[in-house]
Amino acid sequence: MKSFSKMVYPYVLWALIMIVVPMMMLVLYAFTVKGNAVLTFQFTFDNFIRFFSDPVFPGVLWRSLKLAVITTLICIGVGYPTAYVMAKLKPNSQAVMVLLITLPMWINMLVRTYAWRGILARFALSGEAKVYVGMVYNFLPFMILQIYTSLSKIDPNLITAAHDLGANNRETFKRVILPLSLSGVVSGITLVFLPAVSSFFIPKLLGGGQYVLIGNLIEDYFITTGDWNFGSAISLIMAVIILISMYVTRKLDRYTAQGDDD
Amino acid sequence: MEIKKILQITAALSAAITLTGCSGSGAPADSETEAVDAKEQFGCNVLNVYNWGEYVGEEVIPNFEKLYNAKVNYDMFDSNESMYTKLLGGSSYDVLVPSDYMIERLIKENLLQELDMDAITNIDVLDPEVVEMQKVYDPDLNYSVPYFRGSVGIVYNTEHVDPAEVEEKGWEILRDPKYKGRVFMYDSQRDAFMIAFKALGYSMNTENEEEIQAAYEWLRELHATVDPAYGTDEVIDTMIYPDPVNYKDLAVVYSGDAAYIMYENENMAYYEPEQGTNIWSDGMVIPKNASCPGLANAFINYILTYDASYDNSITVGYTSGNKEVKDDIASGEYDGIDAYVPRSGYEKDEVFRYNDVLVQKLSDLWNKVKID
Repeated sequence: MKSFSKMVYPYVLWALIMIVVPMMMLVLYAFTVKGNAVLTFQFTFDNFIRFFSDPVFPGVLWRSLKLAVITTLICIGVGYPTAYVMAKLKPNSQAVMVLLITLPMWINMLVRTYAWRGILARFALSGEAKVYVGMVYNFLPFMILQIYTSLSKIDPNLITAAHDLGANNRETFKRVILPLSLSGVVSGITLVFLPAVSSFFIPKLLGGGQYVLIGNLIEDYFITTGDWNFGSAISLIMAVIILISMYVTRKLDRYTAQGDDD
Repeated sequence: MEIKKILQITAALSAAITLTGCSGSGAPADSETEAVDAKEQFGCNVLNVYNWGEYVGEEVIPNFEKLYNAKVNYDMFDSNESMYTKLLGGSSYDVLVPSDYMIERLIKENLLQELDMDAITNIDVLDPEVVEMQKVYDPDLNYSVPYFRGSVGIVYNTEHVDPAEVEEKGWEILRDPKYKGRVFMYDSQRDAFMIAFKALGYSMNTENEEEIQAAYEWLRELHATVDPAYGTDEVIDTMIYPDPVNYKDLAVVYSGDAAYIMYENENMAYYEPEQGTNIWSDGMVIPKNASCPGLANAFINYILTYDASYDNSITVGYTSGNKEVKDDIASGEYDGIDAYVPRSGYEKDEVFRYNDVLVQKLSDLWNKVKID
């Protein structure tokens, strides 16, 4: 086993160059003043003060978080029953269902979002509603598959045992199936919430440009305005929020894992 | 987009037929017919060109490659700012085609090299009107050669909007509550603030704090009363193929896109408000770090030739810098499409100037307008 551990070095190197160094540059930009000279740094908190002193920017952050939370909740609401029904099907039908759900993912996300734009143009929906349709459509498969995997792993004997001990269907679901599938829901949340909070092309393409999110702001400050320092500060704020939400979901996961042991 | 491609090809074909009909008029320069070996003459045969998307004729690049026995790497950008960001990131290009204010910035920041005017022998074909505009950002005319020019105006659907009303109200028609949900606004702080400044009677290059605030309020009210869609290139499809439900009656459009829209949809008309507008031009420049400047100068000279300019202009719809091409297209293929030849010499029209401080300020304000 020990000799295999050396095989991780290429990835460590990759992560160092592609993740750690850019992250450090981001932090550097976020805490410095804009200037053309690369080698002179002047530290400042101005970029963060600018973000929080104007209600517009936290407002965008709030809107992005709201969009991500609601998208995740809709995905759970639609995804859980779907996964539940899927897990009860015959093995062959289950394989077909998994195929059908992964099928759209063979096509690039951007292409599918463009297709939605054509479809939604025919409906008199608000920009916000269109964005929600696009978000749920794109992220739903991740939620369904995670929940389905955890549901199908449940030993049927446990359900039989619950019935033997006098639990009706409702009780069985509440006290056996739901707690055992919660880890799937948690990893589904990780896979939906995190990309949803930072997505920018779905709102851009479907929202008619009227729906500015934190991802759009970052893009705008890097590319159009050329203010990399402020753009980095916004990115860093986003990164902190993502770290916190990952910590919270990990906590939830550990809680459910402990539940398994009892 | 596919449809557009096919239309472009048909346009190019019909252009070719018209051309063979009057081949005497557009006498090509000698340099155009003689094949040259780039490697022999310049020591390099690869040319990296960075131009706007959908901004070149179908045959222009292949013909150049044949003529010079060279290979062209053709990259595209969608905004001057993203072009600048990539250039600053260390990418090396031989020819860039930025807009006026960006050329001004590149000259100021010492990122361009002077053109070899001995190699650019076709320079005399340029339209005096476009050279007049060039003098604003390149006073000595030695860093750039104009490519296209245009203006910003309103495209409107004549079936739903009375031309007299557009002419009477100018930019103010964009804020008319009657057209709520029917307005398409160009999503660029530069163009949005230009419209507000002009509607209020100010210069579009103003630094006056009160005028900026007034323009900001003007745009906020526009956002609140008509709830416009914001976008960029989508405007072309939006106006050519009006949607049964979410169609737009008024759109802020660049003149070349307007010419293309009008060519495809006869119900559309173009108007440049009397309050004044932004007239702009894009020019070809050679950055300091170009790896094959000799071939780059030859490319710029080639673009000026009648055939290349004609192919570019007829395909894209923007006004050629080549005067003969402009006149032939205006009275030929685009006859009756007034957007093809933008207004020039009107005192209230202005060229955009580069201003670093203003960009930051207007960008913040523009984000606030859209976020509300």
